[in-house]
Amino acid sequence: MSRIEIRNLVKMYGAHQALHGIDISIQPGEFCVLVGPSGCGKSTTLRMVAGLETISGGEIAIGERVVNGLRPKERGIAMVFQNYALYPAKTVYNNMAFSLQLSRMPKPEIDRRVREVADILELTPLLERKPGALSGGQRQRVAMGRAIVRDPEVFLFDEPLSNLDAKLRGQMRAEIKRLHQRLQNTIIYVTHDQVEAMTLADRIVIMRDGKIEQQGTPDAIFHDPDTVFVAGFMGSPPMNLVDCMVTPTGLKLGDSEIACATPDGLRAGARVICGIRPDDIRPAADQPGRATATVPVDLIEQLGTEKLVHFRAGQHSMIGKTGGRVDLAEGAPHPLAFDMAHAYFFDPDTERRIR
Amino acid sequence: MLRQMTTRGTPYLFLLPGLVILGALLSVPLYKVVEYSLYDNVIVERNPTFVGLANYTNLMTDPGYWSAGFNTVVFTVGSVLGHMVVGIGLALLVNADIAPRARTFFRSMLILPWIFTAVVVALNWQLLLNPFGLINYMLQWMGLTSEPLDWLGDPDLAMWSLLLISTWRGYPFIMVSFLSGLQTVPRELYEAAEIDGAGFWHKFWHVTLPQLKPVIFGVALLDLIWTFQLFPLVWLSTGGGPGRATEVLSTLTFRLAFVDFQFSQAATVAVSILIISAAFTLLYLRNEARRL
Repeated sequence: MSRIEIRNLVKMYGAHQALHGIDISIQPGEFCVLVGPSGCGKSTTLRMVAGLETISGGEIAIGERVVNGLRPKERGIAMVFQNYALYPAKTVYNNMAFSLQLSRMPKPEIDRRVREVADILELTPLLERKPGALSGGQRQRVAMGRAIVRDPEVFLFDEPLSNLDAKLRGQMRAEIKRLHQRLQNTIIYVTHDQVEAMTLADRIVIMRDGKIEQQGTPDAIFHDPDTVFVAGFMGSPPMNLVDCMVTPTGLKLGDSEIACATPDGLRAGARVICGIRPDDIRPAADQPGRATATVPVDLIEQLGTEKLVHFRAGQHSMIGKTGGRVDLAEGAPHPLAFDMAHAYFFDPDTERRIR
Repeated sequence: MLRQMTTRGTPYLFLLPGLVILGALLSVPLYKVVEYSLYDNVIVERNPTFVGLANYTNLMTDPGYWSAGFNTVVFTVGSVLGHMVVGIGLALLVNADIAPRARTFFRSMLILPWIFTAVVVALNWQLLLNPFGLINYMLQWMGLTSEPLDWLGDPDLAMWSLLLISTWRGYPFIMVSFLSGLQTVPRELYEAAEIDGAGFWHKFWHVTLPQLKPVIFGVALLDLIWTFQLFPLVWLSTGGGPGRATEVLSTLTFRLAFVDFQFSQAATVAVSILIISAAFTLLYLRNEARRL
């Protein structure tokens, strides 16, 4: 268990700047998830913590040590790779034991550790197999086992679940969470999947174009986004983000007007981006007494427990939700209630939140 | 019916020119060599006499044949080992993460030995290894030897010199094969090994070598087949000499046929080379089939 301090981290690839001064402070035992679209710099940041990429500027400290100049093996880290990176010619046992063998640990101690971890991960029957004879999920567990046997100060995960099918991904996600509860190690976990970020993290760091967009607890990130990007990135289906005009009584969205309270700083006639989650747009019959607008419903997606209601409002295509058993006709206008108490307002120029 | 026959026959029609050439250039000489090895006084006399396996029994009791066989084994194993060690070493070097331009330069330079014909290679090395050649001059200048060595003329040194030439000539193929093999090793494996605490040798031993094992085996076998029957380089460098110090089976065949005009004996040696090469080739083909 160690704290990790990342201070003003910069990465240059030739003249191209990939990271623009990242600051993250991770508490001992914290599960920190870096999330963002491809090319946002999340993997680069992780690989710099691991020592696989050079640091162009700034500082990384693990525990009390600044590790900038240290080699990967001297940093007290273990890493799980996206494609597992198991040694194909070695058995599961030797894959897990390799780092301990290199550190010249006595054989009985290696054996004890490998078997203990194999037991935790239910790998005991597979110890003599080669990685080629394992399923994706089993390989994933071996890769995690290889990291755990070293008892590192910090675990680094680089999109560890993205090569698994959806069902297995769900299982492994829970397994990683359980493992963290049990081992209490500090973890940095990189993913582009916002569900993984939400479910696993103690702290989420959302990155975009080499900068941190927002960091905080999953709750704060989801319910209190600072920017349009964060609001649109977290949540599935994504938040509806629409250009509106402020009116004395509420908002004008295309042709329809919705009565609602707007932040004090907004004057009538100002343009604003209004964000509202699909969960907060329901058929009027479900939620009497809310602001309603009658809109043309053009598509219904049946998900089972709920239905996604696609409709048009002015130029924008928006999504609402309804229960899976509610009968709704496509292609007909329908009154929908907007829960504007949970709407967010953003400045269209800076894309920052107006509170 | 006719149409079916023509569609079935079309592929064979396309194959025909190739088959004819192969038949004329390969099968006929092959058959002739085997036939010659069963006769005495072929070519030089109009009516050769059939002697059955007598040529083979003569060969088995001929110390010259056994010494050439031994030299062939030394030359083949030594060359293949030399190619492997130098080829792998250089492949690792030119695969290193250096400036792309320098890398391209070194890669092109190191392939050069391969593009020269054996004649050029042999003549150049003869000049270099001459008692009054550059290598002796350098060695004396550095104070490593007091008087010039006759690298190709001294029976104790000739085989070593020949191995040096053969290694120089043959490593580029191995290097290129390994270079392409090295580029298929996933980068993550090296990164994982680095995090596990592996240094250069550990990474080479635990990641590179296991990944290259199929390539190493296939290429080594191919090299073995080629080197085993290599003729021009040996003939032009030492001519099998001094004495019989570097006489290998291929040069023995040539000497028997075109120096001593004992075509039957030459054919017999050739058949023995053919049998051994065929065995290696079968091994190679089986290995390739297993890889597919």
